[in-house]
Amino acid sequence: MLKKDLILRNPLRQMGYENDDILPEGGFGAVLARAGVGKTALLVQLALNMMLRGKKVLHVSLLDPVNKVDLWYRELFRLLAVQYQIGQIRTLWEDILPLRFIMTFKVEGFSVPRLQERLNDLMEQGIFSPDMIIIDGLIFDDTSKPALDALKEMVEKQRLRAWFTVNTHRQVKEDADGLPKPLLPADELFDVALLLVTEGNEMHIRDLKTGDVPSPRPVLILDPATMLIKENVAVAS
Amino acid sequence: MQESANMKRDLTRIRNIGISAHIDSGKTTLTERILFYTKRIHAIHEVKGKDGVGATMDSMELEKERGITIASAATYCEWAGHEVNIIDTPGHVDFTIEVERSLRVLDGAVLVLCSVGGVQSQSITVDQQMKRYQVPCIAFINKCDRSGANPNRVIEQLRAKLGHNAVAMQIPIGLESDFQGIVDLVSMEALYFDGAHGEDIRSGEIPEQMLAEARQKREELIDQASAFSDELTDAILEENEITTEMIIAALRKGTLARHMTPVIIGSAYKNKGVQLLLNAVAELLPSPEEVKNTALNLDENEAPVTLSSHPEDPIVALAFKLEDGVYGQLTYIRVYQGTIAKGSTIINIRSGKKIKVGRLVRMHADQMEDIEMIPAGYIGALFGIECASGDTFVSPGLNLAMTSMYVPDPVISLAIEPKDNKAQINMSKALQRFTKEDPTFRCHVDMETNETIIEGMGELHLDVYVERMRREYDAEVTTGNPRVAYRETITQRADFNYIHKKQTGGSGQYGRIAGYIEPTTEGDFIFDNLITGGAIPTQYIPACEKGFRQSLAKGPKLEFPITGIKVAINDGAYHAVDSSDMAFQAAARGAFREAYLRARPVVHEPIMKVVVEAPTEFQGAVMGLLNQRRGMIVGAQDEGHMCVVEAQVPLAEMFGFSTVLRSATQGKAQFTMEFALYRQVPQSIAEKIAEDMAAKKKNAA
Repeated sequence: MLKKDLILRNPLRQMGYENDDILPEGGFGAVLARAGVGKTALLVQLALNMMLRGKKVLHVSLLDPVNKVDLWYRELFRLLAVQYQIGQIRTLWEDILPLRFIMTFKVEGFSVPRLQERLNDLMEQGIFSPDMIIIDGLIFDDTSKPALDALKEMVEKQRLRAWFTVNTHRQVKEDADGLPKPLLPADELFDVALLLVTEGNEMHIRDLKTGDVPSPRPVLILDPATMLIKENVAVAS
Repeated sequence: MQESANMKRDLTRIRNIGISAHIDSGKTTLTERILFYTKRIHAIHEVKGKDGVGATMDSMELEKERGITIASAATYCEWAGHEVNIIDTPGHVDFTIEVERSLRVLDGAVLVLCSVGGVQSQSITVDQQMKRYQVPCIAFINKCDRSGANPNRVIEQLRAKLGHNAVAMQIPIGLESDFQGIVDLVSMEALYFDGAHGEDIRSGEIPEQMLAEARQKREELIDQASAFSDELTDAILEENEITTEMIIAALRKGTLARHMTPVIIGSAYKNKGVQLLLNAVAELLPSPEEVKNTALNLDENEAPVTLSSHPEDPIVALAFKLEDGVYGQLTYIRVYQGTIAKGSTIINIRSGKKIKVGRLVRMHADQMEDIEMIPAGYIGALFGIECASGDTFVSPGLNLAMTSMYVPDPVISLAIEPKDNKAQINMSKALQRFTKEDPTFRCHVDMETNETIIEGMGELHLDVYVERMRREYDAEVTTGNPRVAYRETITQRADFNYIHKKQTGGSGQYGRIAGYIEPTTEGDFIFDNLITGGAIPTQYIPACEKGFRQSLAKGPKLEFPITGIKVAINDGAYHAVDSSDMAFQAAARGAFREAYLRARPVVHEPIMKVVVEAPTEFQGAVMGLLNQRRGMIVGAQDEGHMCVVEAQVPLAEMFGFSTVLRSATQGKAQFTMEFALYRQVPQSIAEKIAEDMAAKKKNAA
């Protein structure tokens, strides 16, 4: 009953996605922002929502050690529970913890075959088979297309959903689609792209891939103190 | 009192330091070399005992054999006009309480790291403990002569894994088998260590090909140091001469504030760089005056009190280590305030006993030297004092205790049985000693089975004590299977309304108690009296509480101790003649039994945090092993050729893990384990435990 309270509040649902998973099977999603704005926090919230729905999340970090990633989850889970006044969080946390697996690589040591090998290790031994995979810290530039293609193939084959963080830079020239430049080399691979921008004291989440949705999706606001998505929704301008 | 010549009183020249390290990073060899260069010993032995003697710090035979250090012996030496007390701390996580207790009495520490292995999981644990006690430290990257040595990588790990602002003070001249000497970046000279044991330091020009690197690293060092000194910053900006004193002063300031960790390199085994480490200890680590020590005022609800570190003030001292020597019990103490001298009267705060101080000594390894007094800031040892580790001694009139240390509950137990009558006597002597030395080691006699049960923090922890019984006390014992400390708790609220009535013949008994029990996370047991209007007279309330408490020792479900429970009583009844303390205690026990089984009791088991380090090719195998043991893998960290897998595994599944891990990884993996939390046992396992308990009971009967 408590769990349901948290699940029902999947923040991204407010942006008008019909499916809780947001992405289709084999789909790619990206969270774009400048360094330090809150990409990881947003993805961890998505991951927590998946876990609360009983789905498994593999969190691959090329930036932080396991302990730090774990801390992100603990902290955001605690804040979520405070925000929605959920008691007994320890039991709930213990329940969902087995649904998460953290894997960290050094940026230079990361390669898709290596990830695939690790993932096979886990799946073949029946240790963990994820429904969603988060890749935090992959470098997006002109050379990243082959890696992304290989990942796409892997994700489609295993029927996963993959989310990426993408670092944008100060002077980003947006192209006609409104996509920041670093994403461009692999634009066609992505189903969802969310841009985090600071607007005064607030942080806005804009959906960049409105595609065939008739009306623009609403803009969500991230509370900069807690990095949680606020309940009230601003209307996109 | 006449001041002893060998106990000088210049506090600024005292260093109480610890040497903390991962097992096998060469800590004992390093200590041995320090004692050699400070002329406390006159020959050098190796840890593994090639010449059958063993390094001096490892005073226990068992430690010599295993090549590990278990007890923290305090040893004294002098270097460059400084008096240095070294607390040798154990390197294995199973003995963490000893490490923690040592850290409490230290003012600074040397974190020893292996230049090949780098920052390993145990280093992380030790580092966290240092953080907790705010101990400033310098790092010594040892074993630079070993193949695969890479000090730069270790410095990088210090930054990335431990979050230290690690700054190199030196660079090596050559590495691995070609490790010749050290470039000191402060004085900008090349130093070589000549003589049979590296005792002659030869200074020379920095080799031509290293000059550029040395200059660049020196610049980095000065840049980092300048953050802590305006004088140094000004000198840089005004392009004045930068003196060695300026750099050292700035580095010292940064180190004391724990904002910087200067890094020294060397190879203790090859006799290189140890003297420079000693210089750094003298120059960069704090004196007792520079460390703020607090005690708890027991008269004012344990409010913290800052101690003065003045030798004329009333005494406050902490017993941090007991050792059974040839001449009786030796108590290592650190005096924080005042002076303990021969003939002083001190009081043990825990027992309230008044003690007259007899013989005072200063130890270096297993030799001792008589002294007249131990002033504030010093470490020494007392003879013939009856006390336990962690006891506080004060002057009469004070009621202070040094900060109580966090002592975790034991998670594993083992039945032991002496082989014969002689062993029986020796065993009880040994147990008495061990329980005094180590608060995480406990023992009791099981009233039902009449077995002697020892309890501790892990398999190895208990193993070592059983071995010590054999060797030091000549007590041969047989051990049973290790048993896990399960606990019971409830998961929902349940009401009770129980009448205890015996009114047939003789004096009667009557008591009625009503209320509820519910789970709580705030403590092991909370008793809440909500009775109004005297339904149970006040004088019987403590009896009710006592009755409930008695019920907690053995749960009605599987006879494990019950924790995390709140009992509230809100109604009841009494009889003017037949009610008594006994009657209400019995009523409380009955009420508890009645409610407990309806409160959905469950069994909890200790879960250990297990960290395995292995070459990457074994990552899959390691994860498989952990998974088979009901382990929940928290994460896997890929670090190039090595990987670290962290998991939470029930203690019950960890027996014999080291053997299995060794064979699965060709001996290339190592692991550490520490208690993490209690978690509910899965249903199927709980049933198996119930079966085992029933079988055991049947056997006992």
